[in-house]
Amino acid sequence: MAAGVAAWLPFARAAAIGWMPVANCPMPLAPTDKNKRQDELIILNVSGRRFQTWRTTLERYPDTLLGSTEKEFFFNEDTKEYFFDRDPEVFRAILNFYRTGKLHYPRYECISAYDEELAFYGILPEIIGDCCYEEYKDRKRENAERLMDDNDSENNPEGSMPSLNLRETMWRAFENPHTSTLALVFYYVTGFFIAVSVITNVVETVPCGTVPGNKELPCGERYAVAFFCLDTACVMIFTVEYLLRLFAAPSRYRFIRSVMSIIDVVAIMPYYIGLVMTNNEDVSGAFVTLRVFRVFRIFKFSRHSQGLRILGYTLKSCASELGFLLFSLTMAIIIFATVMFYAEKGSSASKFTSIPASFWYTIVTMTTLGYGDMVPKTIAGKIFGSICSLSGVLVIALPVPVIVSNFSRIYHQNQRADKRRAQKVSLSYTQQHLPLTDCTVYSRSGQ
Amino acid sequence: MKLLPCSGAKTTSPDIQNSVEDEMEMATVRHRPETLELLEAQSKFTKKELQILYRGFKNECPSGIVNEETFKEIYSQFFPQGDSTTYAHFLFNAFDTDHSGTVSFEDFIMGLSILLRGTVQEKLNWAFNLYDINKDGYITKEEMLDIMKAIYDMMGKCTYPVLKEDAPRQHVETFFQKMDKNKDGVVTIDEFIESCQKDENIMRSMQLFENVI
Repeated sequence: MAAGVAAWLPFARAAAIGWMPVANCPMPLAPTDKNKRQDELIILNVSGRRFQTWRTTLERYPDTLLGSTEKEFFFNEDTKEYFFDRDPEVFRAILNFYRTGKLHYPRYECISAYDEELAFYGILPEIIGDCCYEEYKDRKRENAERLMDDNDSENNPEGSMPSLNLRETMWRAFENPHTSTLALVFYYVTGFFIAVSVITNVVETVPCGTVPGNKELPCGERYAVAFFCLDTACVMIFTVEYLLRLFAAPSRYRFIRSVMSIIDVVAIMPYYIGLVMTNNEDVSGAFVTLRVFRVFRIFKFSRHSQGLRILGYTLKSCASELGFLLFSLTMAIIIFATVMFYAEKGSSASKFTSIPASFWYTIVTMTTLGYGDMVPKTIAGKIFGSICSLSGVLVIALPVPVIVSNFSRIYHQNQRADKRRAQKVSLSYTQQHLPLTDCTVYSRSGQ
Repeated sequence: MKLLPCSGAKTTSPDIQNSVEDEMEMATVRHRPETLELLEAQSKFTKKELQILYRGFKNECPSGIVNEETFKEIYSQFFPQGDSTTYAHFLFNAFDTDHSGTVSFEDFIMGLSILLRGTVQEKLNWAFNLYDINKDGYITKEEMLDIMKAIYDMMGKCTYPVLKEDAPRQHVETFFQKMDKNKDGVVTIDEFIESCQKDENIMRSMQLFENVI
């Protein structure tokens, strides 16, 4: 604010008349401006675009390039103007800073270009006005994250590396299947066996024709031995894979805690538990339940599919939105179930026997499924039922776009990272085959 | 009711469109001052000085008029260590000669012209006007006390040596002893001017205003 208010200095000095007659001693002399020049216009030529301003405007901020004598280095004697070979668009914002005292950040400018210009003119970014500061900070953070992503992917170079011991080679093979053919083979073999295991689980339960004299049997019981052999083979492969990963992991403790390892363990545990407690009638019921866990083998596919990983990551990052969805749905379900129960209490042979029983109706209605196994019969019940279905649509529709936009953002980030990696690979490939004597020039981009 | 934005100080017709309905309208009010030639004739400033003054004025108050809030804000920037709002209030009333509640560029220039380029008589007259809060032609002890307290507030608490609580009151007593010739408890304009002209310190201080701009 000092910039504009300086023009009111004569007024402030004149106002001293107020305490002069009552002062006990004479007033001190006012400081006179030595070398008081007449205010003159100076021309700033920025890449051909001419800006003009008063000299005193620029001198409001003497610790910047334009306000100090540093600008004399750019003075062009022939044309009597100051020439800067910089971006004229950003210069507009910078000159406005001198004029108004507020630095604005134009939204269409690239953040790093803007930072460079500010650094050139000696202006600290911290003085950006409140109106633009949020935007500036957001863009800067995004940029920093993107650079960090780049650096991370750079730290996994694909070129020649110092020789690793067996453990590290194995770990690299597991994490990046395309590093060697052995890793690729391993990758496809495990993928194949996951698929086989999942398909056998499914086919096991299909009815497979009748044994004469008996009821229809599912295939699993008819060809029990065959299925058992398949299952054993799959579990063998999975166990070997898990043990190898455990051996190769740089931090075993962290590996055991990771999600993928938990999925691996859950996938193979039922088999071993089944081996241990064979033919014990009491716990065979529990054993059957355990077989359900075999379906978790399908999650092992997430090592093979990036899309699945992104989906999982999105759900994790949208945990708060999902939690909100769940919470609001629960609230609405309880409210409507209570209302429906009391509305239908009067009607005879009503299926709404209790509030928990009405939960089922509420959920089916709010998600617009409408099975029709429970329907209200009273008029009040029908009215509230229709309100329930309308509100269900709203409550579910609200958090969904947030999750969708999160997924989209993460997906695009991954695509960009992949593209960049592919670019680097192709670049390093071409460099390898060019007859360059000095390879360090192109060793790693960005360094 | 939005008025058209003004195009600058130099206008051919001296229109003063000054509608001050309420706070919201203040932002859209545009006041065009008198022409440069007229102001030059009425005040003792040159054209260039008027240009510089107007540029500074318009920068702070784009609408062309200053209300008391803005006035106090601007003034407090010059005296950050104390509370200058009361003194700024008295100053505002002194500048606002037509008691419209706002200070336009003409009022501003008239005031400054007297203070910086006027005769000693005119300056003392202006100072008397400042002290006479109710503009009845007499300065009473209460009015003087108000002014004194306002000045002491403005100087702030960080003076050396530290001032006592009743320093303003004592100061007023001294002032009245000096100025009130017929001891009737009030100071008239003639008593004021006479006493000031006799005091050397005051006369010397008055000369300092010459080179302010």
